[in-house]
Amino acid sequence: MTDQPGAKDPATTSTDGDGTEPDARYTFANERTFLAWSRTSLALIVGGLAIAQLLPPFPGIPWGRHVIGTPLILLGCAVSVISYLEWKASQRALRHGGPLPRSRLPQILAIAITVIGLIAAGLALLSAVGVP
Amino acid sequence: MSPPAGTAPAGQEPPDDIEYADPGLARERTELAWTRTAIAFAALGAALLKYRPVAGLLVLVLSAVVWRLGRLPGTAGAGDVHDRRLLLITVCTVGISLVALALSFLGPGITSLR
Repeated sequence: MTDQPGAKDPATTSTDGDGTEPDARYTFANERTFLAWSRTSLALIVGGLAIAQLLPPFPGIPWGRHVIGTPLILLGCAVSVISYLEWKASQRALRHGGPLPRSRLPQILAIAITVIGLIAAGLALLSAVGVP
Repeated sequence: MSPPAGTAPAGQEPPDDIEYADPGLARERTELAWTRTAIAFAALGAALLKYRPVAGLLVLVLSAVVWRLGRLPGTAGAGDVHDRRLLLITVCTVGISLVALALSFLGPGITSLR
């Protein structure tokens, strides 16, 4: 904890049972990352709810909206929880001067959105062709 | 000889220099991030308000709480691992997602409330 700017300031340095108070800038950045993921998860939930409630049903596939909307809502829920856990892990790493853990969220989000998008495309094609 | 731009001699920064009070404007940017998050909650609340007034009102109140949390001096960027504010946002988002799940499966949806 010698090369961190701000650590020399006694007002921002306090040692307790859980590591050392890191540079405030790192803490702020970690908090902003969490807030950004929270907004992402809110957007996913709103999108899922809007698809389930506002979209007209696919012709011939009345359950189609739920197949798209429900995974989106669940994904939003998961993103919210995971982002909190990752914020906590990063904050702990900052306090103990350890390496920052790698975030799994971009991978999770990319894979989930790809799958949901493929499902949506399949449903759109199915309803256009006409399901028995 | 004037020094090159951006390299003020040490000890000559004015005490009200914003880079000194808030390095990298980190605090300001974090407050703005809290504001954006509050706006996201408010947008969700306003959208819900039209169809589910009680749920919408609750989310609007929550957005005011989030806005307030980001403004409280000394709390933004608290380095504590057990930060209750972030836990509150997570818990509320999970609650909203559960409500959204329930709403999306409940009956014919918004038309029943018209």
